[in-house]
Formats: sequence, structure tokens, C-alpha cells
Amino acid sequence: MRRVPAAEARRRALASLQVTARSLNEKYSLNAPARTPDPEWRNAVGRKLNLSSALLSLSVLADSGLEHYRGSFQNRLMYLPLAVSAATVAASLFGIADARAKSHAVRDGLYVLAGLTGATGLGFHGYNVMKRPGGLSWLNLFYAAPVGAPMALLLAGVLGRGAERIRDDEACTILGYPAGKALGLVTSAGLAGTVAEAGLLHFRGAFQNPGMFLPVVVPPAAAGLLTTAQFRPGNIMRRAAKLGLRLTALLGFAGVGFHAYGISRNMGGWRNWSQNILNGPPLPAPPSFTGLALAGLAALSLIERGSHD
Amino acid sequence: MHEYPEGQPVDFAIIGTGAGGGTLACKLAEYGFSVVAFDAGPYWRPLEDFASDEMHQSKLYWTDPRIVDGDNPIQLGANNSGKSVGGSTVHFAMVSLRFRPEWFKSRSQLGYAVDWPLDWREMWNYYTEVEQVLNISGPLRYPWGPKRPRYPYRPHELNAAALVLAEGAEALGIDWTPTPLATLSAPHGLAHPCVYRGMCVIGCSTNAKQSVLLTWLPRALTAGAEIRDLAMVGSIEHDHAGLATGVHYLRDGRWRFQRARNVVVAGYAIETPRLLLNSASAKFPDGLANSSGLVGKNLMVQSNQAVWGVMDREIRSYKGPPSLAITEHWNYTDEGKDFHGGYSYMSQGPLPIVWGTTQASKRGLWGQALLDAMENYNHQVGLKIVGETLPRERNRVTLSDERDQYGLRIPRVTYSFCDNDKRLIAHSLKFMRQALEVVDAHDIWDEDDDTCHLNGTARMGDDPASSVVNADCRCWDIPNLWICDGSVFPTVGGVNPSLTIQAIACRTADRIRAMARRGELPSL
Amino acid sequence: MTERYPGYNVLHKRNSVSWNDQTRAVIDARCGIDPDFHQFCDEAEWKTLRSLCDHIIPQPLDRPVKAPIAAIIDQKLYGGKGDGYRDAHLPEQDKAWRLGLAAVDAEAMAACEKPFCELSADQQHWLLGKIQRGQASSEAWQDMPPAIFFAKRLLHDIVSAYYAHPASWNEIGFGGPASPRGYVRMNFDRRDPWEAAEASPGREDQARVENERVG
Repeated sequence: MRRVPAAEARRRALASLQVTARSLNEKYSLNAPARTPDPEWRNAVGRKLNLSSALLSLSVLADSGLEHYRGSFQNRLMYLPLAVSAATVAASLFGIADARAKSHAVRDGLYVLAGLTGATGLGFHGYNVMKRPGGLSWLNLFYAAPVGAPMALLLAGVLGRGAERIRDDEACTILGYPAGKALGLVTSAGLAGTVAEAGLLHFRGAFQNPGMFLPVVVPPAAAGLLTTAQFRPGNIMRRAAKLGLRLTALLGFAGVGFHAYGISRNMGGWRNWSQNILNGPPLPAPPSFTGLALAGLAALSLIERGSHD
Repeated sequence: MHEYPEGQPVDFAIIGTGAGGGTLACKLAEYGFSVVAFDAGPYWRPLEDFASDEMHQSKLYWTDPRIVDGDNPIQLGANNSGKSVGGSTVHFAMVSLRFRPEWFKSRSQLGYAVDWPLDWREMWNYYTEVEQVLNISGPLRYPWGPKRPRYPYRPHELNAAALVLAEGAEALGIDWTPTPLATLSAPHGLAHPCVYRGMCVIGCSTNAKQSVLLTWLPRALTAGAEIRDLAMVGSIEHDHAGLATGVHYLRDGRWRFQRARNVVVAGYAIETPRLLLNSASAKFPDGLANSSGLVGKNLMVQSNQAVWGVMDREIRSYKGPPSLAITEHWNYTDEGKDFHGGYSYMSQGPLPIVWGTTQASKRGLWGQALLDAMENYNHQVGLKIVGETLPRERNRVTLSDERDQYGLRIPRVTYSFCDNDKRLIAHSLKFMRQALEVVDAHDIWDEDDDTCHLNGTARMGDDPASSVVNADCRCWDIPNLWICDGSVFPTVGGVNPSLTIQAIACRTADRIRAMARRGELPSL
Repeated sequence: MTERYPGYNVLHKRNSVSWNDQTRAVIDARCGIDPDFHQFCDEAEWKTLRSLCDHIIPQPLDRPVKAPIAAIIDQKLYGGKGDGYRDAHLPEQDKAWRLGLAAVDAEAMAACEKPFCELSADQQHWLLGKIQRGQASSEAWQDMPPAIFFAKRLLHDIVSAYYAHPASWNEIGFGGPASPRGYVRMNFDRRDPWEAAEASPGREDQARVENERVG
């Protein structure tokens, strides 16, 4: 075979990639010409996203509070997600109340901090799994620090940043991409991760109650529909995605009820709350689904607007 | 509960409701036979009847008088007996392990002891059945032996004592795993999951423990079996033809007689031979089913030696089931051994009375020395084996001339380790000492004389001359007399026997049904 | 000697979810045992038994509530409930104890011309050591081997009785009764707020504060 010089090979590969990217762009119009929705509307979407951030960080606040209390705050850093998620809740509430159609430096900064803390937490939790005997094993995934949990804080940060960007950008884009699609992708990925977490823990519980299948069935369906709706324009797809996301949002709240029932199923029930609130199913975990579903709904409305204009 | 009249024969009178008898009662009742199962102990309701107290809960044990002798007189009572409906599974440590397949043919495949008349592949299926019924919480991948189906429930979280075993095993380069346990790691039906109160061996007051009392017996009652508690069977009656006709038992202060077409003895390895020997008659002067002379012989304990040490870190091994981690490395590895057989070892969690008497009896500590050692309670760790011992005819259950509160001759239990047993023990103590040293335990000492479990006093086999029952647990001498408990084990292996006893009971029930359908059981 | 678990009292959990009614009844009864009450032992046996218990388990003098070890043993012997086995060298537990108590006294008389209960602590220690090693010669033992009686009856029963009492649980930091509430934190160096806190050097005051919150 004739040898191609390395530089030439790289050039050719790059060129073929560019061709592919261009054709993908044309097909899915990722860089569609900017439209200019009005600022009030953009602010409304931003507030929706703030709400989703608020729910996610509230869930993190309560969940990491409980779980890190269970872990006796052995490491000082275990206080960090409590402080950051509390600040993120505050920032998000401020965002929800803020009628001005522009971003705010403090909010923006806090969302960045939340994202960074979430990412750091992922690292710490991963380390906690790996350092135990057995390393990356089912046992440690079940009982060591939950790998997926800090992701909720990371998502709260990312969605919060999105809320700020939309307020500012008349073109309604994030990192150059249409906001609806970008947020839709983030939401779908976040749902996938949260489903994995719920699936893992419900598997640990041997799916002993049929209700435990709900979070591994409904949210993945919603995420699938949301993803499809981004690439397949059409009312039916969007309506289906909306329904799926609404069900997921509802499930997040219902999950708290299910988990409260789960706690009562442990020895001593609620009377033995000091043990069961820690050993039973985590009360604050399911609302993460609601937070993500709200973000998905916001993304859908962006997509909808985009296609109507 | 259905109740059967004494005067009319039931299909099966089963003596004992533990791992053997309780399981068999359930299966036979579900197959449509009429069943009365007797137990000398009471029918407890754990949620109402059990206290969180080591001394009080000795009510679960068989504490009638027994005499122990031999070179290594064994501890009975709390250690390996139960006088409760559900037998000793009411207070067992829930460790639910399968035999290594080769052990069923240890003579022909491993070169020691005797073969079982059973095939491991058939047993593998019965193990699966029992694991499903007991809702075993176990690992997703078991490191040793042929593939097995997934356990119904996920493994429990490890306590610090179990993590010490895991750290030691990893440092020494051998496999370990969370122990498959018969206690719930998630709710099941009305039962709560385990709360990690650590009092499993004095009776579970959570009802998380999947004992015979809570698994097979409710099903047995639903299927129409009668459980007759507080009923001590004193002898088995037979007719002129030498067929069993029923059992004499003491209940409410008087002796009664229950007629039966078949009698199953399931009293475990001491009470089973004791009852057969106590039932001696003019026709069977050496006791029932004893033409081979083997009833009561080949008693096998399992060696239960331990290495203990103190860690700088707090362990608090009173939390959680006592044996959350295990290694079966030396059950499945044949290289590097100067002995036949195998052993597993597990993490430990002794409660204060057991720990205090261990320090006093095994180390000879008393006075301030004892109190000082006991102060390290929350820092102590231990690794303890369940080790295979070889069958020897000199290890046996015989009748003493003394009589108990029922007027029955009490058993004398004679036991001595053989040289092979001692070599196994020495190997295990040396290995476990290393396993504690590599995790920086200090003040390490050997507990070198404990035993657990009782098996083998009415062994099964293919030859009436060298066994008491056949593979179906049916006595060679008396075709409507069956023995279904740990007594039928020809060898014990290095794992806790309860799962195997239940698997054998399931198989026996299937065999009885098949034979009855073919008309091979004339009494039915 | 400083306490390992200062201020820890397992009885503070009595009314918490760590105890249920059955357990309360059982432990209340045990704590209510009159340390001077005896039905099985006669007066001489009782004095010897009490001295033996005091020597095998030297409970701190300043302990407010001591475990009534001798009375627990007397109650067990009077009730007649056995352990489910006995070494063939020993008679039944009640006979073994009567024989053993008399023999211990006889050994004391032979060696020091005083009953066991009147010996000094050092003399008692020396004498018990001899019995533990089987170096006892009194006729009073009859056929019973002193070393086996010491290990399997005397030590076993006294130590069992002591560690059945909450006073001993406080000393070793045992969590005590645990139903319906069990435990949550099972890893190294972790304790639930309803468990004893250990006084590692320099942490005595903090441990005391934590132990006073146990309930």
C-alpha cells in the first residue's frame, strides 16, 4: 500500500469530518438562522428553568444532608454540597421572582459553582466506590457513596446557566446551538443518568414492589420522546413528549409518597424514623425527576416556539 | 390449622420441624398427603415473643440434659440445637451455602471419606428451589463453583467486621464475597427487611430472617398440614411385620399415640439416633433401622476454630448479621493442603455473653485480666472457619443410663478430632492469622477448640450394610420409616449444612410423590 | 481506671425505639433482682459464691448499680434450667456447684485455715489459680476434676451472668437491646447517635457529652 504522509492524512480526515458536519447541520438545521422571540417570553422560559434548578438543588440539599449525616460528615468537604445547593436554591428562587429579562451575575456565578461542585462530587463519590474492597463492584455501587447523586447538582448548575443565557441571548441559543435543542439534550442525558441511579437502587431493593419499575419505565420513555421531538418536527411527537414529561414530573412527587410508604414498611415504621429515614428509601431523591421534567418542558416550549416562528 | 385425630392414621407423622422436617412437611402437604409434624418446642411468634436479650432467648435452644465426652467434648445447647417449631433455623446465622459439587463424590473424585448416592446436578436444582423460597440475599456473581442462578435478593451492606475479612483476603490475593444470607435485604410480603440489630443467633424479632418457621411452615399450614407443638416424641411403634405404625408422644402431661402410615424422623443428628435407639423392641433390639449398626455412628461436627485480634479502628461487630463476608477459597482450592476436605471462613459478631465466655473458657481469663480484654469489645475482630471433619465410627451418639424429665434415656455424645481434622484446623489457623496480620490487627490469638453443626448419625448410601437410609432418605430396614435431616449426610464439607438439608428434603418429597404415584409405597 | 465509655448508660435507651415491651419486661426483671436473695445456696455456699463472683468479676467499687451475679446464678440453679450439655466428668449443674463451692472452701481451709470468703484478695487469687491449673488436692472435690469445674462451670456461669447485665454492657460499650430499632452505620469508626461513644485520649469530655445524648 502506498504510504500517505501523516500531515496529508490528517488534512483529509478533517476535510471529510467537515463535510459530514455540514451535511448534518443542513439536515437538522442546528445552526438555523436566528429568530428573535420577545424578551418577556424568554424570561418566562428562564424562570421555568430556574424552577427546575430550584427543585434539583432542593432535592440535592435534602438528600445530601441526609446521606452525609448518615456518613457522619466524616470528611469536611461533605458539608460543601449542602452549602452550595442551599445557595443554588436561593439563587433559583431569586430567578423565579426576577421579572427583569436579563441575567444576573450572582445567579450566574452560583450556577457555575453548583456545576463545579457537582462535578467534583462525582469524582469524590467515584473515589469512595473504588477505594473499598472489591473496587468497582455491584456491592460498592449499591452501598458506597452513590455515584450518580452529585449529578443532580451538576444538572442544577447547567440548567441554571441555561436560564441565564436564554434571558440574555436574543437569538435564543446556548453555546451557539438553539436553546431548545441544547436543553433537550441536557435534560435527556440527565434523565438517563437519574434513571440509572434509580434503577440501580431499585435493583438493590430487588424491585420488591411493582411500583419500583415506574421510574425505570416512565422517565426513559419521556427522555426518548423528548429526544425524538427535537429531530422530528411535528405536533404529535411534541405532544407525546409533553405528556411523558408531565407524567415524569408527577412521578417525582408521587415518588416521595412511595418512599414515605417504603419507610413505613421498615421495622418500627415512622415511629422508628431515626433509623428508617436513613435505611429506608430516600425521601428527597425522587423530585429530581420533577426538576428534570420541568426543564424538558421548558426545552419543548423553546422548540415549539422555534418551529412556529 | 387443620387438626388430625390421633386414632386415624395420617399419611406422614414427621418428628421435628426444622430444616429437614419443616421443609418436608410443607412439600408433602402441598403434594396432597395428610401430615402431622411434631415438635418438642413451642410455636413462637417472633414479633411478640422475642426479647432483645441473649440470656432470655436461651428459651430457643435444646437445653435438656445431654452428656458430652471424648477427646474434644462438643458444646451443645445454644451452639447447634433448637427446641422450637422451625428448629435451629429460628436462631441460625442464616449462612446459606451450596456444597462444592465434588463433595457429593468425595471418595471417587477427591480421594477421601465416602460418596453420596446423590448427583450434584440434581442437587443444584434443589438448591435453587430452596434459595428462591428463602429469598436469599446474595452476591450477583459467586466467585466459586459452577454457575448458579441469581439470588432473589441483593447482598447486604458489609459491616466493619466483614470489611476486615475482605481487606485481608484482597491482601492475600484470594477471592471473597458477601455471604449469601437467609435474611431480607428488602421487604417481602408482610416481612420487614433486616434492621442490622445483630442478634440473629438469639432469634430475629424483625421477621427478616427467612427461617423454616417463616417460610415453609406457613405454606405447610395452608396446604393442610398440622404442626403439633410442645409434643415430645419418645418412641416409634411398629407392628409384627416390622412396619412403623405411629409415634408415642408426650403432650399436656400425658403420653399419647398418633397412628401413621409413614413416620419421618427429623430430629437432627442427636435426637434422631436417640429416638431410633430409644425405640428398640424385641424385634429390633439394637434400635430401629439399625441392622447396619451405624445408627448414631459417624457423627460429624464442623470445626469452628477462630483467630481473634484487636484493631485500632472501631469495629462494633454487634451490628449487622454476624457473618456478612465469607471466603470459600480453601473449599475450592486443593493445592497447598496437607489434609483432606476444605473449610470456609467468615467474619464474626459475638454478643457479650458469648464473647465473655469465649475469653474466659478459651483463654482462661478472669479477674481484671478478663475485664481489660473485654473492654476491647468494640475493637475486636475475628475470622472463624466452618471446617470439614471426616466421618469416624468412634464419634457417636449412644444412650446414657440417665433419664430426662420425660423419663427417656438421655444421649451421650462422644467426639474426638482425627489427625486429618487437626491438620485442617492448623492450616486454617495459620492462614487466618496472616489474614488478620495483613490488616494490622494486634493481640492476635487462636480459639482452637470450638465446633458447630451436627451431621451424619444415620448416613445415606447405596448399600444397606454401610448406610442407614438410601438416597431417598428411606430406611433400608423399615420401608415406611424415613430420616430427613442432617443425620443422613455421609460427609459434611466446609459449608453450613442448612441449605443442603432443605434441598435434600425437597428432593425426598419429590421422590415420595413419584413413588406414591407409581404405587411403590404400599402403605399409602 | 478511666472509663472507656464515660457517661454511657444503656438503660437511657429503655424508653426509646431501641427497646420493645418484651425486652423492657425481661431487663426490668433482671435489674430488679435482689442481690442478696438466694434460694438455692445455703448461707455458707452463698458467702463463697459471692466472694467467687467478686473475685472473678471485680466490679468497680464506685459503680452505682452492680450486676447481682451471685443472685443470677442462684436463680438459675434454683430454676434448674441447664445449658443443654455437660461434660461427662461433671455431675449435673446443681450438684457440681454444691460440690465445687464446698471444695473451694475446703481448699481455703486447708491452705489458710479460713473459709474462702475471708481470704485476702491475693490469697483468693493464688487459690483460684491453683484450681484453674488443676492443682487442688482436697477430698471434697470427690470425682470432679477441679480444672474442668473451674473452666466449664464456675467461669462459664459467672461470666455468663455478668454479661447478661446492663452494667457490663456500659463497661464494654455494647449497644444493648435493639428492636425495633437496629443500626444504620456499619463501617469502620462509625456510630449511630444511639450508640456508646468511646473516649479516645483527649476526647473524654466530648464522649461524655455524646453519651449523655444517647437515648
